[in-house]
Amino acid sequence: MSPPARAPRLGAAAIAVGAALAAGLAAMLIHARAGRAEADRPAARQARAAIVGLTGSPDLALSSASRWLRHPSLSEPGAAFADAPAMPDTDPAGAAIAAPRALFHGAARERLTVRRAHGAPR
Amino acid sequence: MKRHRALLAHALGALVRRRGRNAAVAVGLALVVALFTAVLFLGDALRAEVEAGARHVPDLAVQRLVAGRPALVPTDAARAVAAIPGVRTVTPRVWGYLYAPPISANVTVLGATGREALPPAVVAGRALRPGERGACVLGAALADALGVRVGDEIALAGNAGADAVRVLRVVGTFHDASALRTADLLVTSDTDARALLGVAEGFVTDLAVALSTPDEARVATDKIARLIPGARVVDKQRLRRAYALTLDGRSGLLTAALLPALAALLLLAWDRLTGLSEAERRELGVLKAVGWEVRDVLTARLWESALVAFAGATVGVLVAYVYVFVAQAPGLAGALFGWSALHPPLRLTPQVDAAQTLALVAGVAVPFIAVGLVPAWRAATLDPDRALRGQA
Repeated sequence: MSPPARAPRLGAAAIAVGAALAAGLAAMLIHARAGRAEADRPAARQARAAIVGLTGSPDLALSSASRWLRHPSLSEPGAAFADAPAMPDTDPAGAAIAAPRALFHGAARERLTVRRAHGAPR
Repeated sequence: MKRHRALLAHALGALVRRRGRNAAVAVGLALVVALFTAVLFLGDALRAEVEAGARHVPDLAVQRLVAGRPALVPTDAARAVAAIPGVRTVTPRVWGYLYAPPISANVTVLGATGREALPPAVVAGRALRPGERGACVLGAALADALGVRVGDEIALAGNAGADAVRVLRVVGTFHDASALRTADLLVTSDTDARALLGVAEGFVTDLAVALSTPDEARVATDKIARLIPGARVVDKQRLRRAYALTLDGRSGLLTAALLPALAALLLLAWDRLTGLSEAERRELGVLKAVGWEVRDVLTARLWESALVAFAGATVGVLVAYVYVFVAQAPGLAGALFGWSALHPPLRLTPQVDAAQTLALVAGVAVPFIAVGLVPAWRAATLDPDRALRGQA
């Protein structure tokens, strides 16, 4: 094939590939938007509110192997480590889901009082 | 413009001439981008799902801890909490976990007396009737695992053993659309839930508290803590914030773990772009000899890198989207489900928008093009005479 004949065909192929990729991205964005619209329908919102109202927690039923994976928001901070301090969670899902530890930051209601043996508090 | 079109045409020709090398780099780039993006898409979708539900949780959930473990809350505590100024309603809840040996799975048992009403769209069959006993509504995954349909009866042995066997009629199953929240649920009356879970009369699992003014959660929390020894109060606002932080942190951690893969790919790209083959050297020598300037060669090489980078990154984003939202993330979903025998289909709502997509593609393509800059400059500054003679 001579170079002059090849260049327009290459250009057309490149434009086709580019257009296909752009169309793919556009289809992805349209699909995502439709998914959000579907989840935001009044009926879907009402169903979600009813179920969360019934279960009383926002937790997803992704794993029911352990209570701290099923209900991370309602499990106490040490739930995964109840059998031994700082014990690693043996369930693989423990790496992805776990009690939201930040929930306990600033949750202390009582101050810790320390009486020093010598001198003023440091 | 004309010059750029000509250089782009040359870059396209070069892409085809070196198709093996360019395809390998584009496929590698697409793979790394797909991995990165899948984690990002999954994290965003899960965060949005939790956030959508968190709006409807009670203002406070009151639990009790004894020796660092959850303990039952005396029902009397509900009356005491209800008397606190600013508390609108207190709902004592009976719920817990029941291991079902036939399916080797933990079932979440929920007593729903007083909260039976559900929109018809949520269940196949019907919801529980007010005060109805001996009946249950099951999550779709649980019903599938047990092999039961609406109208069947199941005999479940409770936590208290053979004495606590309850026969429940399945009056409804939750639709798949709500499976993310209901997959492992068994909703029944408080009485049946107590029997299955072994929760004695006079005690409940926890209290759901609604406040007249949600902003006063902190004050109410302090008062409840004084009323109930060992109380642990989960505040709605803090819970929402904590969930967002946790999911951000965990998906961030996974993304960080993938960074070496991207670094390795960029290194590979650098290596590939730096090493000029004999044919490339001759090609550059000819181009320089016929009058191409340094900037022409540089621009053509950058066009070549840009085409590979944008194509690879775009394909990666598309693959990630299909992987997460169409194929339901096989592999990553397995990590989320862990050893759980009951889990829902991972049907998540995509949170992807145009700005995020653009940022993703550009965020990968720009460093990739930048990596090719120095090799492109080296190629552009080759001495044509030496290049044509095949000397370095």
